[in-house]
Amino acid sequence: MMISILYGTETGNAEMLAEDIQAELEGDHDVTCENLSDVDPAALDPNRLYLLVCSTYGDGELPASAQPFAEAMDAAKPDLSAIHFAIFGLGDSEYDETFNHGPKRLAELMLAHGATQIGERVAHDASGSDMAEDLAFPWAEEIVGQAEDRLGAAA
Amino acid sequence: MTGKIAIVGAGPSGCYLAQALLKAAPELEVDIVDALPVPYGLVRYGVAADHQGTKGVTRQFARVFERQGARFFGNLKLGRDVDLDALRAAYDVVVLATGMSVDRPLGIPGDDLRGVYGAGRLTRALYEHPDAEALPDLGAHPLIVGNGNVAIDLLRLLAKAPDEFAGSDLGPGPSGWLAKSGIETITITGRSAAARAKFDPVMVKELGKLTGVRFDVVDAGDSDDPAGAKKIEALAGLSGTGARTVTFRFGLTPAEVIGQDGEVRAMRFATATGEETLPCTSVLTAIGFDPSPDLPRDVLLAGATDAEAGALAPGLYATGWFRRGPRGTIPENRADAQALAARILDDIDPDLEKPGRAVLDGRAELVDYDGWCRIDAAETEALPDGRCRAKITTRAEMVRIAK
Ligand SMILES: Cc1cc2nc3c(=O)[nH]c(=O)nc-3n(C[C@H](O)[C@H](O)[C@H](O)COP(=O)(O)OP(=O)(O)OC[C@H]3O[C@@H](n4cnc5c(N)ncnc54)[C@H](O)[C@@H]3O)c2cc1C
Ligand SMILES: Cc1cc2nc3c(=O)[nH]c(=O)nc-3n(C[C@H](O)[C@H](O)[C@H](O)COP(=O)(O)O)c2cc1C
Repeated sequence: MMISILYGTETGNAEMLAEDIQAELEGDHDVTCENLSDVDPAALDPNRLYLLVCSTYGDGELPASAQPFAEAMDAAKPDLSAIHFAIFGLGDSEYDETFNHGPKRLAELMLAHGATQIGERVAHDASGSDMAEDLAFPWAEEIVGQAEDRLGAAA
Repeated sequence: MTGKIAIVGAGPSGCYLAQALLKAAPELEVDIVDALPVPYGLVRYGVAADHQGTKGVTRQFARVFERQGARFFGNLKLGRDVDLDALRAAYDVVVLATGMSVDRPLGIPGDDLRGVYGAGRLTRALYEHPDAEALPDLGAHPLIVGNGNVAIDLLRLLAKAPDEFAGSDLGPGPSGWLAKSGIETITITGRSAAARAKFDPVMVKELGKLTGVRFDVVDAGDSDDPAGAKKIEALAGLSGTGARTVTFRFGLTPAEVIGQDGEVRAMRFATATGEETLPCTSVLTAIGFDPSPDLPRDVLLAGATDAEAGALAPGLYATGWFRRGPRGTIPENRADAQALAARILDDIDPDLEKPGRAVLDGRAELVDYDGWCRIDAAETEALPDGRCRAKITTRAEMVRIAK
């Protein structure tokens, strides 16, 4: 399957995790990894599965590197009805009221433009005891399994 | 691309720079030197003990040493153990990422009284920096000058109840000191109006969770600007019925620290309409940092080829707080370091004759990355109740464990 991992980050944790997921999936799939700041939402490819990895800042806002993507989405209102994505969030439960709201917003934005979400949004907690990759690898495997059924093995 | 690069300072700036350099050019020899036997700068000794999530970036930095091949030369101080010219002679590129650590003085009469303490001094002591001065007695009524995130950190630490440090790495000495502080009131003052205060609203919201405190926010005013309105809203949300009173005051410009018998008794401020004097038992300043005198920062920056890009002289660069001044959070250092990495890779002209790390290797008492791993293991293996780390607090002990 063709998979693109797109990350939104400020201090680099989401980028490191995105690269780890890429390394984990690379053996069996064609995987690219890009910063959301370099991605045009109108150019997303229906033949690829998008795995979004995104942190949370400010008061439940998107991290800096995801903001241009969100702004482009608001401005260009692309039709994403052929696009499939899944999302993994990074956050910190110290910020309890806005815990993992960044990825939540990003998912809402994708859905609002017609994209189809695969699986549940999983949230890592920087104040918790789990390593992000220990949550993300099983998540990615599960998502890819579901996507293979949905997008078809051809993709 | 080959080349030998020495980065001085293993704080976030130095580590992000090494990360970006080695990502773009994995063959580079990148060495990170730090005056301390332990890496990570203010992530270890500045970021609050009760903000462990923020310290999660150290997992990335560990990879820089473990997978990307950077080497750590801890316990080696530039200006004392090795001088800048020697380092420049040995490496193709030297980068200064030594931060800023000296508390900026108030610069008003009385600022040298006993009972006036800088936030850097206090946080280093709270976080058990090996060079920290002892924690002083603040009396029952400390007054904090400054409205940035560091001031709010200090306020939160002083205001917290002992059980609110669960999960932190606050050590037994500082925990005991806080528990016995006898603090009854804390006043925090800012020069500007609340709408223009430097703190992030989330930092203030977090205060609202404290159990032992009641708040009094005086004249926060209002604001048409959305960012200002958020700050005022965060302040307005503070409530609580605890025993300690925290008072927020705005629009107060420090004029004089008033003492008696060498001890702080009050602080006088200029206000928009005249002046006001607030009684207090100590004055804690969180108004910024100055460069340490070990390096001629002003001279280096004044003569820089391109100070904005961090290029000081051929083969000599600066990044992070050392370059930009004591402002900005961890993400800004990352962006800064990434831009500088691109610049260095453009400029670098490797000289194969340069010895590089050979000039550092073999020095006495050096702590390498494996040594740090032994210290880290010692700090995390036998944990006291409710703590995620028990820091080794002296250099001698660090060096002993590292061996
Ligand atoms: C109290 C406090 C709390 C903070 N809390 C947060 C927070 O919660 N979140 C956030 O994003 N940011 C926070 N910051 C800001 C953040 O710490 C800085 O943006 C960041 O640490 C600057 O990185 P740096 O690498 O430039 O400097 P530093 O982190 O200061 O690192 C400099 C390193 O250089 C070493 N060094 C100094 N002189 C020499 C020498 N002569 N030779 C060799 N080595 C030397 C030092 O030992 C140190 O390890 C806080 C800052 C402070 C002061
Ligand atoms: C200033 C600041 C604000 C934050 N705000 C939130 C928040 O509102 N909600 C949340 O879940 N996490 C919040 N976080 C935690 C980060 O999302 C978390 O540390 C994450 O691992 C950062 O990933 P990154 O390095 O990819 O940016 C905040 C962190 C910082 C430093």
